[in-house]
Amino acid sequence: MSREHRCALLAEADKAELIELADACIADGARVRVLVGPEVGCVTAQVREPVLEQRFLLGDVLACRAEVELAGHRGWAMRLGDDRAAALAAAVLDAEAQSGRPRTAEIDALCERIAARRERREDQEWAELAPTVVEFEELT
Amino acid sequence: MGYSGARGGLEAILAAEDLVRRKRDYASAAWASTEQITARFRLAVDRVMGEAGLYDEPTAADAFRQAEGDTLEASHLLRAQRSTLPRLAVSEPVDPGEMTVLRRIVPAFREPDGPQLLGRTSDYTGRLLERPDGPPEPSPQVPDTANGADRTEDQRSPRRFLDLLRTMDLVADGRAADDPEPHDITRKPARPPADRSAVLAAMARSESGALVALWYRSILGPDGDVHEITLGELRHGRLPLRVRHPHTGNPVAVGEFRVTEAEAIEDLDGAEEDRTRFDVGYGLCFGHNERKAIAMANLDIANRRFGRNGPLEQLLLLTIDGLDSGGFLEHLKLPHYVTFRSMTERKQAMRAAAEAGEEPPARAAEPAGKECR
Repeated sequence: MSREHRCALLAEADKAELIELADACIADGARVRVLVGPEVGCVTAQVREPVLEQRFLLGDVLACRAEVELAGHRGWAMRLGDDRAAALAAAVLDAEAQSGRPRTAEIDALCERIAARRERREDQEWAELAPTVVEFEELT
Repeated sequence: MGYSGARGGLEAILAAEDLVRRKRDYASAAWASTEQITARFRLAVDRVMGEAGLYDEPTAADAFRQAEGDTLEASHLLRAQRSTLPRLAVSEPVDPGEMTVLRRIVPAFREPDGPQLLGRTSDYTGRLLERPDGPPEPSPQVPDTANGADRTEDQRSPRRFLDLLRTMDLVADGRAADDPEPHDITRKPARPPADRSAVLAAMARSESGALVALWYRSILGPDGDVHEITLGELRHGRLPLRVRHPHTGNPVAVGEFRVTEAEAIEDLDGAEEDRTRFDVGYGLCFGHNERKAIAMANLDIANRRFGRNGPLEQLLLLTIDGLDSGGFLEHLKLPHYVTFRSMTERKQAMRAAAEAGEEPPARAAEPAGKECR
């Protein structure tokens, strides 16, 4: 799993599951340094529109990011919303996985659960949407 | 407080604020939680996010509750909140073609690529008021995923109608080789003449009613800018937001946000236009707000055709922001004692001069700002 893919899945994780696993990661006494404290701010959504293929700034999206160093490896996370604790925990998990420390397999397993959860949610969403597909008749 | 030479009133202001808070927060009704508001008033929440220019449903819902349901006041609160926040990043350019559609209709064409998906809409439902005595019966049966086929890519992100028109060589191609940096209207106010990126950004966060009114004016009003408009395509769905990972330099998705997108097809008929082809206007805004996206798409093409030769670009840049117009209107409620006393004294002086047989003074120029162009 690429680092970007893992970060994207951790950005979708529930707060509780992130914090539980991050606590487990640092329970062995590994040295943790917070390099960028969990900070709430905006990501400006830049769009390339399809007509003239020009870029414009649609607006801002609330986001939170954090960066840590765990056992000498840097971890980074950003997720939408303003949950600082979740962002910090995700950054710890990124560092743990980057360093190949003992909880890496559990982080991968968490990511797989998140991906499966997303797939189920989208399946349910499509089950509700599909009956609304329409073919209007043309009057001739 | 102090305004226009008035001061004092602090105790009354605090009492008024307290009255709002008590009547709102301690009303004899169940508390409207943030989750209640996002679940049951989603269109109001979406409108607030779009007009504020900040996407976050819980924050917008809190603003809506604090504003007692006044969407413009909620947008004001949300934009004020945003002004306290740092900009963490500018996203990688979002490709709207990646949208996972929740609703997609192509009014111009019966059989586009991909489905016509009505989604969650009451467009085709009679407007009959329901007056329930209480909450509804337990939730009806939700469709079972086990019986459904997997969603295909064509069903998830269908090819846009614009691309179909392009394959038929029916669209005037205005795409340029250069790729100018977009104008950031949150940092630098846009004034005519402005880049299209500034106009699109201004429309995206405009007050929805103001944008619709301006569009309707362009249909029935004195300008006569727009005619023969066809709505090509309308979508509501989710788009991924990606930023550049600070360690790897690669794009990384940090979440999704919902948008409404519209394409308006314009029949070119000007003397110097390509009358064998159409042109297309584009609209995109936060959340589910179809009226706004459709008006935006129509006004985009109108502005590209007529904005530099008439008032439209100025109107789009200077008059559709709800906080600008609403703020100016609201300020009229503040004490203007000194201003009005000055006007009264001028009237009285002119009357005295007239009664004394003096010539009236020369007319003063129009107030600054009336002539903007």
